[in-house]
Amino acid sequence: MSVLIVAEHRRGKVRPITLEMVSAAKELGDETAVAVIAKDPAAIADQVDVEGVNEILYVKVDAEGFENDVYREALEQVISDRSPHVVLVGFSIDSMGFAPALAAKLGLGFASDVFALRRDGDDLVAERSFYGSKVNAELDFPNTERVLLMIRPTAWPPAEGDGAAVSAEVDVTISASRARHVDFQEVAASEDVDITGADFLLSVGRGVGEKENVGQFEELADKMGATLSVSRPLVDQGWMPSSRQVGQSGKTVKPKVYLALGISGAVQHLAGMKTSGTIIAINTDPEAAIFNVAHYGAVADLFEVAEELEKLY
Amino acid sequence: MRGLTPGLLAETATRDTFAGLETWQIALWYGLIVASVAIFVYGVLRLFLKYRRGRGHEKLGNARERAERVVRVVFTHAWIRRRDSMAGLGHLLVFYGFMVLFAGTVILAFQDDFANPVLSFEFWHGWFYKLYSLFLDVFGAALVVGLTFFAVKRGILRPFRLRYWRPAEPAEPLRDQPRRYELGDWVFLGSLFFLALTGFLLESFRIAADNPSFEVWSPVGYAIGQGFRGLGFEDGAAADARAVNWWVHGVFALFWVSSIPFTKAVHMLAGPAGVAAKDDRAGNRLAPLPAGAKAADVGYAFIDSLLPKHLLDLDACTKCGKCHAACPATATGYPLSPRDLVLDLREVAEGSMGNRAALGIEPTFPEHAQLIGTIKPETLWSCMQCMACVEICPVGIEHVPIINQMRRALVEKGEMDGQLQQTLETIYTSGNSFGETSRKRGRWTRDLDFDVKDIRKGPAEVLWFVGDYASFDPRNQKVSRSLAQILRRAGVDFGILYDGERTAGNDVRRVGEEGLYADLAEENVATISGCSFDRILTSDPHSFNTLKNEYPQFGGEWDVVHHSQLLLELIESGRLRVKKGLGYRVTYHDPCTLGRYNGVYDPPRQVLEALGAELVEMPRNRDNSLCCGAGGGRIWMKELKGEDSPRPSELRIDEAVGLGDIDYFVVACPKDVTMYEDAIKTSGHQGEIELRELSELVYESLALA
Amino acid sequence: MKVLVAVKQVAILGDEVEFTEDDRDVDPDYLDYALNEWDSYATEEALRLVEAAGSGEVVVISVGDEDAEDSMRRCLAMGADRGIRVESVRTLDPIQVARALAEVVRSESPDLVFAGVQSSDSVQAATGGALAGLLDMPLVAVVTKIELGDGKATVNRELEGGLVDVVEVDTPAVITIQTGINEPRYATLRAIKQAEDKEIDVRQPGDLGPQAQRVRRMFVPPKGEGAEMLDGGAAEVAQRIKELVEEKMA
Repeated sequence: MSVLIVAEHRRGKVRPITLEMVSAAKELGDETAVAVIAKDPAAIADQVDVEGVNEILYVKVDAEGFENDVYREALEQVISDRSPHVVLVGFSIDSMGFAPALAAKLGLGFASDVFALRRDGDDLVAERSFYGSKVNAELDFPNTERVLLMIRPTAWPPAEGDGAAVSAEVDVTISASRARHVDFQEVAASEDVDITGADFLLSVGRGVGEKENVGQFEELADKMGATLSVSRPLVDQGWMPSSRQVGQSGKTVKPKVYLALGISGAVQHLAGMKTSGTIIAINTDPEAAIFNVAHYGAVADLFEVAEELEKLY
Repeated sequence: MRGLTPGLLAETATRDTFAGLETWQIALWYGLIVASVAIFVYGVLRLFLKYRRGRGHEKLGNARERAERVVRVVFTHAWIRRRDSMAGLGHLLVFYGFMVLFAGTVILAFQDDFANPVLSFEFWHGWFYKLYSLFLDVFGAALVVGLTFFAVKRGILRPFRLRYWRPAEPAEPLRDQPRRYELGDWVFLGSLFFLALTGFLLESFRIAADNPSFEVWSPVGYAIGQGFRGLGFEDGAAADARAVNWWVHGVFALFWVSSIPFTKAVHMLAGPAGVAAKDDRAGNRLAPLPAGAKAADVGYAFIDSLLPKHLLDLDACTKCGKCHAACPATATGYPLSPRDLVLDLREVAEGSMGNRAALGIEPTFPEHAQLIGTIKPETLWSCMQCMACVEICPVGIEHVPIINQMRRALVEKGEMDGQLQQTLETIYTSGNSFGETSRKRGRWTRDLDFDVKDIRKGPAEVLWFVGDYASFDPRNQKVSRSLAQILRRAGVDFGILYDGERTAGNDVRRVGEEGLYADLAEENVATISGCSFDRILTSDPHSFNTLKNEYPQFGGEWDVVHHSQLLLELIESGRLRVKKGLGYRVTYHDPCTLGRYNGVYDPPRQVLEALGAELVEMPRNRDNSLCCGAGGGRIWMKELKGEDSPRPSELRIDEAVGLGDIDYFVVACPKDVTMYEDAIKTSGHQGEIELRELSELVYESLALA
Repeated sequence: MKVLVAVKQVAILGDEVEFTEDDRDVDPDYLDYALNEWDSYATEEALRLVEAAGSGEVVVISVGDEDAEDSMRRCLAMGADRGIRVESVRTLDPIQVARALAEVVRSESPDLVFAGVQSSDSVQAATGGALAGLLDMPLVAVVTKIELGDGKATVNRELEGGLVDVVEVDTPAVITIQTGINEPRYATLRAIKQAEDKEIDVRQPGDLGPQAQRVRRMFVPPKGEGAEMLDGGAAEVAQRIKELVEEKMA
């Protein structure tokens, strides 16, 4: 089974998902190629030259950064040129811009948020969850010759080591880029904290109830020597800036200690913190998904525990 | 004082009403009377026209009962005397003083303008005159005493309820109102004083001038008159003074009468009218939406959306402030005072449809004036719909239904806080406010050592409508289990609806989402109607209220009991054997929806007595109980209390602890359980007092029996 | 201005589950249904744009059976003008759903097509993108702000970590909407009931093409050994947390 991985990069740096996909590809095939679509692929290629990569494809395009149509058209041509059995892209915001469109247009097999893969003879079996992550399912793709999978970040460890990949250039012509990058904006104000640098995060979720209660936890975090972070719902409500958000569409963090209060553990949140050193979770729901990734947990009321913690610090 | 000698009785006791007046002056006088009455009638007519601009009408049945009620309430001052006997007495004096003086004038007019000229019948002399004079003097004095009471209250005692301090800034056009009200009230009081004073002076001057002996029968006037004489002020001087005073008093009196519909005095008319028209079920049975209602028809979005009765309510308000003092929101710094809400609405009504609008006196409002803006949404959302205001109002104002209707308009516009919107959407999707699947409703029964019947599948004596909190909240599930075990021990044949139950909807309705409420009610009625049972039991007063009082609107009419009532029944009938063994010192908190809404005060107390507990009453108990703060859907909304204020529930726990040495704070409502368990901790009294639900105490005593 | 909003009635699974006989799906008895959270944001955004433009219509489109109309009614109650439903069974993969929707879009020729970034039940995050691919329309995914211009729009694409990518996209375009872009208005039940008067046109699907994915089996994931649960009340738990923090931070 030949695998084509689409490297994900931003502002000159390759994103971790790319190397995680190399590990995923090892489960399947013998032939793994990584396509680097960029204005200057050479500048990025080194970062993907790891053990497990046989070939690096330099796909030169005009666009400065990521643009949907550019990636889609380029890939159409790369796929046509290289005929991989499986195409892997990250389950990420960039990929949402081109991967489903590509799969639909080319009639590929498709599944997203895949966290496990295996071969069953000649068949490819991918595992993902359904019904709000409450159940898992194994999928196969009997109707198509080629399959495109969007891979869940942090499901595989990033591949390491020195690779000895051959490089090849693939020429592509882009007819139009109808959604063009204009500018980046850092939404986070520079005065705010960078939670990715913190060693100890105290994180709160919907369990906090009201905006007024957030301050209490900010104070507690301060007392304990932790930085306050939050799950997505609090950012959606406008209670905290997105710079504090841990999760798939927020920041990925890996502190020594991650103390989660009132967080249920939606998959998107877990993706952002489950590799933390020690995870301690407090939730009133004994079935909360967070307990599956936590090292220590307690079924308790976060306010009661917070009150007790305040006394101790 | 001279004694009553036969010679005295020989003098004809009477007086000439128009003594010293020339014909043209008498004619002028009658002309003024006509003018005054005409203005009065015009004013009253304008009020009627204003009320007619309201929308819809309430069917006022029971005319006879209402008439009886009005007569009783007005003449005994039953509603005014509540919780303030000094004010009650004061007003009794003013009222009867005024009434008697008014009656006196009518009697005199009757004689002078009808009996004498038409029937040649003259009765205003002799004993009649003397008794008449006595009466009027005594009651005139009573009037003055009453007015003095009020002046002392307002000026010296200055109770909380009479202060026009507002918890929140009023909207711009109404910023001056508190000042104007203070001034206006003193002017009003002063005007009555002036009338009484000039009246007595009139009498005194006359007596000082003529000194008829029989005028001892007007003791006050006589005394003052003698005083004047003693000072040398008599005969001609006094007669002149009398003449001037006659016109002053007379014209002022006529002016006063004509001004009644335009000033605070209107409460003399609007108050009794409000008492007569009051909806007895105000608050505990709200009005459904008319079928096919359009967005603009929903609730009170405009001033002319109000029911005529509610427009009348706005005029009936005397700013007595009893609602202001009773309101738990006002007490804890929420941006709501029921008094101020009524007064603000009155300003809008007056300024848009009333006399002020006609005369162009600011603040004015457009004819179809929008209410939101002048009334802020957070004012309306602060209400706990606890009915303390409606309960205590002496003139029958229905604050709670008015607020509810205004909330309906807010909800229709989507003008509510995110949490509330979220909860309503959750209720819509999952049929309960916890967002749990319906399957989980029966889960609390799993820890019991017996199976609870599914009443959809087979008949039972009692259908137990459990309610959301009692089904899903862990602390309340304990209470449900206790109650289940009690019922089993008493041999009660009961069943529950399991996943067929939906939120009863009481609070959804109180929040103003009438459509969602109707949907829930219809669903529940359909489910319950398919079951076979004798009566419905509920352990949740909110569900109790709506099942009992409002579900009939949706075709569901059953016998509904609250668990405190059933427990008492079981104890009294012997089906439940309890021993008077619990020697605890307890206090009991009357839940709003059980107590004020439905008058169920005694059964829980009787149950506690049967258990042998020593009940120490809360300072504010029964109809004066202080709401825990969860009502009216507030448990689903973000906190709006004043920054430095405790929550209503914390205030209540402080009250309880203040009673000294209380073992248990006893409640009979699941929301109270939740609110007060929390308040015990957050008020810093943890360890000093504990909470028990009524069922839990009964269950404990069963173990002893 | 015409905006089409693709909406989905998503399934909600509680914590109890049984599977169908073939083990390929959950037994429907265990499911509740609701409007997809992302789609209420998308509908709200469409309504705001049309209201700002002064005239136009918002049309909600969906693929599903008759019950799916409940969710469409929510959108109609919020203010959408009419709906189009493509009759179908629920278990379709996102590419097939996109094929069914593509026919509707072609017949309507809208200025914009909105879809939610993902649905809360399947979280494929694919339907919107697939739709754009089939129609060969410009696409921007995961959008948190839209400003319309002439023949184009300037949108904010929300990237990971709080970064925003400002993109200029030619219109007509497909845009997938992220939560938090606005505050969806509340639809009272009265409005929902009266939305019954608004038209929902039901169509039969054409050729849905091959399935892009097939479920072999569905199962409850085995729970990992999970967390070491701490005993005691809040005070004991807090004490233990303090000890752990000290230990691990050392």
